[in-house]
Amino acid sequence: MVSPPTIGPVASYEVLEHTADIGFRAWGTTPSDLFGNAARAMMAIAADPETLSGEEEKQLEVQGVDYPDLMVNWLSEVLYFFDTDQFAARNFRIDDIASDRLRATLIGEPRDPERHSWELIVKAVTYHQLKVHQKNGRWEAEVFLDI
Amino acid sequence: MLTDVRVYASRAIIEKVVKDRSLDQAANVACLPGIVGSSLAMPDIHQGYGFPIGGVAATDCSSGVVSPGGVGFDINCGVRLLGSSLNRSEVRTRLKELVDQIFRDVPCGTGGSGYIKINQKELDDLLVEGAQWMVRHGYGETHDAEYAEAGGALADADPDKVSARAKERGRPQIGTLGSGNHFLELQYVQRIEDEEAAAAFGLRKGQVVVLIHSGSRGLGHQVCTDFLRDMGPAMRKYGIELPDRQLACVPITSTEGQNYLGAMRAAANFAWANRQGMTHFVRQAFRRIFSDDVNLKVIYDVCHNIAKHERYEVDGKMRDVLVHRKGATRAFPPGHREVTPAYRQVGQPVFIPGSMGTASWVLAGQSGSVEETFGTCCHGAGRLLSRSAAKKGRDVKRVVNDLERQGILIRSGSKRGILEEVPEAYKDVDEVIEVVHNAGLAKKVARLRPMGVIKG
Repeated sequence: MVSPPTIGPVASYEVLEHTADIGFRAWGTTPSDLFGNAARAMMAIAADPETLSGEEEKQLEVQGVDYPDLMVNWLSEVLYFFDTDQFAARNFRIDDIASDRLRATLIGEPRDPERHSWELIVKAVTYHQLKVHQKNGRWEAEVFLDI
Repeated sequence: MLTDVRVYASRAIIEKVVKDRSLDQAANVACLPGIVGSSLAMPDIHQGYGFPIGGVAATDCSSGVVSPGGVGFDINCGVRLLGSSLNRSEVRTRLKELVDQIFRDVPCGTGGSGYIKINQKELDDLLVEGAQWMVRHGYGETHDAEYAEAGGALADADPDKVSARAKERGRPQIGTLGSGNHFLELQYVQRIEDEEAAAAFGLRKGQVVVLIHSGSRGLGHQVCTDFLRDMGPAMRKYGIELPDRQLACVPITSTEGQNYLGAMRAAANFAWANRQGMTHFVRQAFRRIFSDDVNLKVIYDVCHNIAKHERYEVDGKMRDVLVHRKGATRAFPPGHREVTPAYRQVGQPVFIPGSMGTASWVLAGQSGSVEETFGTCCHGAGRLLSRSAAKKGRDVKRVVNDLERQGILIRSGSKRGILEEVPEAYKDVDEVIEVVHNAGLAKKVARLRPMGVIKG
């Protein structure tokens, strides 16, 4: 089995203050790390990470016009899978990424309403004060979620 | 900026408003192509994304733009008030049973889906008919939909412009409350401020009422996400540049604009159907606990995230405009032909939910709204604290006990949801109401106090 690219430590994000909604700042050494950590950040806001488990995989591909756009589309895709496909992803592996597209694997299990409910329903990913850039020698993103 | 920003606020409110970015956002809204009149801010204004929450902007129907951010992700987030035939003293003796029953019967939907199952074709019909579809299918009483803004359905909804994804998200969620700041509250009428309007609305002192605050759930959120994603390239096509991407917009008359409006109306109709479904469940809960004789009448249902095609006199000329209300409520005055006939003498009901544990208000639209604010007034208390700040130093048990000491029971799907919605996280709703009352936008009719809070 091929080793997956670095997933990154779980705590590579922090919550950002916003009056009406909620945001996070995530970071990573590469875009691949960053996008994985951003998805982890969103799932930690939305659900209780302790209740997420499983080793099933789902592949997906996302496009965007640039990294910020790609980030919104990527997180929106993860949201969609949680809400409809009923797939609770506990971890994320970015298999391939460029500024206008990514291929990723969601790792988790089918949603179980007894264990996997939204702690806080994330309605959508916004473009509000969206940042995806290199800063202080690492990749960083700031994303606000409508809740 | 193409025009100025006009803010309705008291001195105390302004001191708080300047602490976040809401005024900057209102200034950005003043850059929207085709804006008519001022960029308006209601007294519950606070920072949103793109538009401030509590923001209102009218754009010319022929030459102006439509901005999905001026409606919000939660299309037709709104409020419905039900008036019961019971009094506070009658309900108080069985309050816990009633609150527990409603908590069981009205799903919040955080687990994924609700109790109402509909197929694809039924969903498409519902997206056109709104609340009336639910009534026809056994989830309501004959006249329910008449007592809703737009009769519980906007005309010219286009289900074909709602993506398969949005339908997939929404279909299992019909009749569910949602979470965050969505809630269902059992309340009593604490005080009547205007006897004539209260009588017209069917309100009396001590009466138990039910306030439902909810929107279009995953369907609406996905519609906005879908259209915002495609607006970037569309804006380049039309040569529109704006200071904030979340303010993305296209000409109303463009294909993209018409497609968005068709989908937005369908999502709005989903929200009305949603609140109608919950009305049915609340009625069942009351009848289960008390008796089949208990009546719950729909007093009215208003939206506070929407864009509507309306006509106003501006500088002596009648103008057709698209009024964006982002966290703001329509407040039509007495005599207006769109006010439900039973209320036309006193003005359109407006419901302003306060924060958990404080007060909510019933108002009646006044002529000042049509003269000054494109028929609009505020929608709530407006948040003061971020969710993290609201949780700091607070303990769920203490918050729940404080509420219980006031005679208010709370049932929530999430502990964090309780902390984030504490009264201190919001502005003073009474202060917000004073501003709109004194400005002549809407007048005070009744003050409501909570007895039970059900949240996701």
